[in-house]
Amino acid sequence: MRRIPSWIWPVLVALFILALSRVVKNEYYMFAGYVVLQYIVLASAWNILGGYSGYVNFGSAAFFGIGAYGAVVLDKLWQPPLVVAIVFGGIVASLVGLVTAYLTLRLRGVFFAIATLALAIVLQTLVMNWDFVGGPLGYYSVRPDSIAGFPSYVNYLFVIMLGLALIAVLVARAIELSFIGRGLAAIRDNELAAECCGVPTLRLKVFATMVSGGLMGMAGAPFPYYITYLDPNSAFSLAYGINSIAMPLIGGMTHWIGPVIGAVLLAVIQQVATVTISSELNLMIVGVLLISFITLAPNGIVGLFERYRQKRQRRLST
Amino acid sequence: MTRLKIKQNHDERISSPKLLSSESSAKGAGLTRRRFNRALMTMSALAASGSLPVRSAIASEPIKIGFGMAQSGPLGGNGKAALLAIEMWRDNINARGGLLGRAVQLVYYDDQTNPTLIPGIYSKLFDVDKVDLVLGGYGTAVQAAALPIVMQRKQVLIGTGAVAVNEKYKYDKYFQMLPNGSTARTSTSEGFFQAAMTMDPKPKTVAIVGAVTEFSRNVILGARENAKKYGLKIVYDGGYPPNQMEFGSILRSVQAANPEVVFVASYPPDSAGVIRTAYEQKLQTRMFGGAMIGLQYSELKQQLGPMLNNVLCYEFYVPAPTTNFPGIKEFLAMYQERAKKAGADLLGFYLPPYAYAGMEVLEKAVTAIKGLDPNAIGRYIHANTFDTVVGKVTFAPNGDWAKPRLLYVQYQGIVGNDLEQFKRIGTQVIIEPQEFAYGKLYYPFAASGH
Repeated sequence: MRRIPSWIWPVLVALFILALSRVVKNEYYMFAGYVVLQYIVLASAWNILGGYSGYVNFGSAAFFGIGAYGAVVLDKLWQPPLVVAIVFGGIVASLVGLVTAYLTLRLRGVFFAIATLALAIVLQTLVMNWDFVGGPLGYYSVRPDSIAGFPSYVNYLFVIMLGLALIAVLVARAIELSFIGRGLAAIRDNELAAECCGVPTLRLKVFATMVSGGLMGMAGAPFPYYITYLDPNSAFSLAYGINSIAMPLIGGMTHWIGPVIGAVLLAVIQQVATVTISSELNLMIVGVLLISFITLAPNGIVGLFERYRQKRQRRLST
Repeated sequence: MTRLKIKQNHDERISSPKLLSSESSAKGAGLTRRRFNRALMTMSALAASGSLPVRSAIASEPIKIGFGMAQSGPLGGNGKAALLAIEMWRDNINARGGLLGRAVQLVYYDDQTNPTLIPGIYSKLFDVDKVDLVLGGYGTAVQAAALPIVMQRKQVLIGTGAVAVNEKYKYDKYFQMLPNGSTARTSTSEGFFQAAMTMDPKPKTVAIVGAVTEFSRNVILGARENAKKYGLKIVYDGGYPPNQMEFGSILRSVQAANPEVVFVASYPPDSAGVIRTAYEQKLQTRMFGGAMIGLQYSELKQQLGPMLNNVLCYEFYVPAPTTNFPGIKEFLAMYQERAKKAGADLLGFYLPPYAYAGMEVLEKAVTAIKGLDPNAIGRYIHANTFDTVVGKVTFAPNGDWAKPRLLYVQYQGIVGNDLEQFKRIGTQVIIEPQEFAYGKLYYPFAASGH
């Protein structure tokens, strides 16, 4: 009997959530779910470069912010459908990824991380001084109450983000299982050795940065409609950078499912913490989980599961 | 160590019937000011001492009022003070028999001064907590994020501390408890420029300095207009990034331009930094100040002490012979008693009276229309003038105050770092508007060594 391909599971889960979204009328779950899905996109996108190739990118907020402000620019010019804004945000972020990659990928380790962090700060400063998109005054995007075919506009945003999450997961999975993923893994293990073996390291890293940045930009494009008032501090928040790293780290960076597990776990905890216990605990939760996983399970939840599976197999074979 | 608090406060404390006379349990409309204040004092004292009994006394279903309020993040300090004021109103109204005979229950969450959390918080308030009324949090960004959700539910939103939020939406049930008025952009600096023009000889040049942030940018745009209006030449016009900590180079550039007046639009950490740097450099100018957020807080007043002398800055409220609004003294006395325990601003001159006054407006509207219909509440608030602890309040069609009333105050005779001196009349002298002015403007700026 033929084995069911693993890509089918994310599709089935997405279809199940889509069906559920038509039944659940409570908009709170749509808003909270949107945030969780948004982090699935960001974490999966981050993992393509950070997890597969080992290049730690602190600039997730930069790409996310490009997507968000790309949507603002289009909204001001001719108010296209959201899908167009998402594609535009993805392309612009991808191009910025291309430029960033050429400029920074000669750096490794902490130098690369600092360079990406600087990118977010530089872009935030640029937007702060760009009056066309509101500058520091921010931008108000008036969200329609409803849209054809959906119970509410918030439901529409949720479904859009669900689609993006599915795309991000499938792209991450496809890259991981292809020759690109193997090449990136070789770079992560030993870049010099990979280069000597004929792996086109620069091309692969540039490609990974573009795809990663593009997906992050796509996740940012619906954000102005979610929040309705976009200011540079919200769009380029360091929280995106921190969460995008923490989630794959907790879930596991070597498998496409790792960032999904990490994002669901961490984002749900943060959402629950916001409306139950002190919100000041939010960042502390991220910190405590990060330290715990780095020390106790450096390969994340997926790594723990893998270790358990290997032990079990050894026990069975003996 | 950061104090961690439970933020989800489904407050169940409801007043005891023993505390209510048959008279005071009547609907709020028939209350006298004295009885109101007495009830406030009694209930606040009981609440502060923790002796308020937990029991359902007024009616079976409480009226739930929901909001997000910063308890952490950059504006957490202000949020704590505003929350305390709202809690004081709740204790007061429950002591008087509740709103429409129903106990008032507050449902609030810490928005962390983070607008990205607002959609989730307000949808939870409406869809899960099923609140009857909502309030805005503190600050423009969080209220701007909350307004579309409130509009979608066609509810009333009364907020404190936001500027120009309703410019684009023009929502008829939005109200802002801030004395900046409906022309906030220019009115925020108007008093400063009016005061500057009273100097003899009249100044001719001004330097404008501000953070590149939402509030400061709004204020600076207005300050440029005012400078033009009063015929002042702008000799320096510069912004600095939000996290700037070093102001030496900026103030040296300002000094090089030799302005007679220096107008600063800054946030709390910058306000302290700019004033300290001005003193270090002995900045030579005739008038110094502006829309410097932070100088209104007890912490900064205490920290800066005598360095505040001759600085002209806006305040929402200061003790003065002209600001003796009915109920304000009692409110502040009780607030200051509870503030220490609540970890809120110790003086409470800035936001608390306005947050409390906002609740008074809501209470009067709900009591008058005898219901919670948002359309009727909105119409009533637009149509009436309200007597509150911050004086008479009338709203413009866009929901801001119809008449701006930002106080421009000069700090005078500050000695040492004792906080008590700021409670005295005469240390924070109102210079503008003339309706509330009672002192003389001193110049030049004290840091210049004159």
